[in-house]
Amino acid sequence: MYGWGGNVIYVDLSREKVSIKPLDPSEAKMFLGGRGLNSYRLFKMVKPGIDPLSPDNVLVIGNGVLAGTPVGQTSRTHISTLSPLSGILGDGNAGGEFSATLKFAGYDQIVITGRASKPTYIWIEDDHVELRDATSLWGLKMGELVDALRDLHGDDISVAGIGPAGEHFVRFATTMIDKYHSGARGSGAVWGSKNLKAIAVRGTKGVEVANPEKFYELAKEDLDYFKKNDFVKKIYRVIGTHYGLLQWYPGWKYFEKYLGPEDLPPGLRPQDFARFEVGRTQCYSCPIACKDVYHLPRWNETGTSSEFEALYALGANNAVTDTEAVLKMEHMADEYGMDVITLGDTLAMAKKLYEKGIINDTDTGGIPMKWGDAETQIKLIEMIAYREGFGNKLAEGYRNFAKLIGPEALEYSYDVKGLSRGWYHVDFFNGIFTLAHATSTRGADHLRGRSWAYWENDLNMDANVVKAMLDAGLPDYRKDPVGSLIWSERACTLADSLGRCKGSINTWPQAVPLVWKYPIFKGLAMLLTAATGVEYTEESLIEVADRIYLIEMAFNYRQGIKKKHFAVPFPPEIKNTPKIKEEMKRHWEMVDEYLERRGCDVETTAPKRETLKKLGVEWVADEIEGKEFPEWDGPPLWELNKYPSGR
Amino acid sequence: MGWSASVGVKQVPKREVRYVSRKILVIDYESCTGCHLCELACSIKHEGVFNPYLSRISVLTKPEIQTSTPVYCLQCNDAPCARACPVNAITFNDRTGAWEIDYGRCIGCRECAYACPFGAIKLNVTAEPIKCDLCGGDPECVKVCPHNALIFGSEDEVIRELQKRKSVGVVYSLYEKGSQSLPGNRVREAEEAVKTLYGIWAKRKDLNI
Repeated sequence: MYGWGGNVIYVDLSREKVSIKPLDPSEAKMFLGGRGLNSYRLFKMVKPGIDPLSPDNVLVIGNGVLAGTPVGQTSRTHISTLSPLSGILGDGNAGGEFSATLKFAGYDQIVITGRASKPTYIWIEDDHVELRDATSLWGLKMGELVDALRDLHGDDISVAGIGPAGEHFVRFATTMIDKYHSGARGSGAVWGSKNLKAIAVRGTKGVEVANPEKFYELAKEDLDYFKKNDFVKKIYRVIGTHYGLLQWYPGWKYFEKYLGPEDLPPGLRPQDFARFEVGRTQCYSCPIACKDVYHLPRWNETGTSSEFEALYALGANNAVTDTEAVLKMEHMADEYGMDVITLGDTLAMAKKLYEKGIINDTDTGGIPMKWGDAETQIKLIEMIAYREGFGNKLAEGYRNFAKLIGPEALEYSYDVKGLSRGWYHVDFFNGIFTLAHATSTRGADHLRGRSWAYWENDLNMDANVVKAMLDAGLPDYRKDPVGSLIWSERACTLADSLGRCKGSINTWPQAVPLVWKYPIFKGLAMLLTAATGVEYTEESLIEVADRIYLIEMAFNYRQGIKKKHFAVPFPPEIKNTPKIKEEMKRHWEMVDEYLERRGCDVETTAPKRETLKKLGVEWVADEIEGKEFPEWDGPPLWELNKYPSGR
Repeated sequence: MGWSASVGVKQVPKREVRYVSRKILVIDYESCTGCHLCELACSIKHEGVFNPYLSRISVLTKPEIQTSTPVYCLQCNDAPCARACPVNAITFNDRTGAWEIDYGRCIGCRECAYACPFGAIKLNVTAEPIKCDLCGGDPECVKVCPHNALIFGSEDEVIRELQKRKSVGVVYSLYEKGSQSLPGNRVREAEEAVKTLYGIWAKRKDLNI
């Protein structure tokens, strides 16, 4: 198969069996790869009502269809599972060299089921796939793990794995790739529950494409666009996503207020972080290089890729302004393997609850939860990773932690479908911020479409692209916010399925290759046709995107998501103000319009049979139609003493 | 007898025309971030697939600490690979400035790979040696390098370019910025980036979309 690796690895850890099956070309054509193929596999293999941390859960790791080619920024590895954090679809993607290496070895997907009887890692070298004993690797932090595996297998391998947080079933533990790239939604805990420590890959077979000349020419054109772009050259390569601190209004003291560019306290400005920077690095085949390498003299440690999200969640939202300490916390999250947004927001929520008197010293085990106390926060992060003391409760993750404390605390959990809303602004962009959080298929999220629905970031890059896209039929968010969101969700679904990065610049040209030349998906269709030999058109790509999105909605419907879970919470202090009530009224109108236009039932949110039939996946309707699913209330939580804890 | 000889300065042979007009491929190591795009470009050009193991240039990386070292043929003046070859299969192409392997003569003994002091000769799937041939005078890797770490040109041009880039680390902003940067400069660069960002916002207000 051109473009694709052509094979899928199935690993049954309970029976210690590995089988390699060829990728079904019709599946590949319908779902592309990465997120699309993963979501499809999950829908087929995960039964509703299972415990995410049980051996029944399925862990799917897939690379995008363009992985391992010189189309820039296509190195995201997509990791999908039933999330132990939210109890619905949990998928995230991480950069690094894993996806390209896996593709070079000839694979598109790894599907892992069951539970190993002892710590295990998977070693893949082209056609050879083997389960190996990982007893000596268990307990290692990410840096040590990757170094140990490089010593064993050579330094041209790529490693996906978990740190101590995953081993201790921390519900927001992440899958880490090549030390410092992380994919969120709690997949790390699923690795831990399967006794799986790592996957190491070496691939030497390479990728063949259907029409090399045409494909390479288009890929080079796309690379050139970023190479010549002023925003990339003068801002992006210099301060990376840190520019978000100025543009995206980070929350302060658990969203008490939002910091505009002028309110940023010294210590949290991009130039403060630059003091610790020693170099820049990036993922495979990326022309941008947005990741910084920083050295922290106070701890004599070197880490990479301090993204905006980490700095806002661990820094501003907790009122920590000690630059070096914020970077240290980010580095710890990478080493232990935890999601920085959930980590930072959970800590901030705990501080808020402490301030309000909802939790006290007895709950926290005598640890004072004070704003801006970096030292205690560093200690807490370590306690969370090993589930020690108060850390055991915090390790349950954002909404689950609040649920554990009680209904009073749940008021302060600003989550949609179990995921923290992160920084948000109440009245941004015609309600797109709130609507996009509600409609995201993995819980509140900024990478499922939100940032693409308005052009704030695109105007930084290139105003001409916005004009060209509007001319090509992209709905204007000021007149048609719902249409604008649906289009941007399509763009993100396709980007995730290509393995294309969306996170760094948050712009259309970044998510969708060649959109600046052939809007909107025409360029992408040309590229995919040249790569795979399968005829894609703009229309067929829209169908692919909608097919993937509706399967994900059906998956969540099967997990018990009802319409009321499309609600978006606000802080108790402002939730009853007329402004928010007005906003909410409009929000529900837009949700109805959204479901209608997506071809879903407006009352139940289930995708309609006719819509699914049109998209060629009528069998999905058989799985959900006429069936009752118990209402979602987060994942099943364990008793706290049942988790592995301590070192 | 020139002036230099009379005062005892070592006589240097005059530069031959070949070396003045010859184009060379050099690397600014500090600019390489390790994206591997050059490997993909090289392998598609020579082998028709995207495969770093079949690329004539290899980038050794440890991405997490940003050490990237591209390894490729430096086209030595006095090439050990050509000397080591028992069948004289490696010859210098005057037109392109590259040492090339004549696969009709090559017996696959790998001596050239052992002799190369840089490890720049690789073996392909059939154990034939592969090495950089400068793409016949128009290297593909240079075209894709996003940070212009690979420079191709005549010796004089290229050395001048290197001088400018390396001096940037010492004398900030004398020339357009390369990527080499001292810690003090990074703060200054970040401040400039912030200023540029404010500039973009200001311009955005005038847009009529």
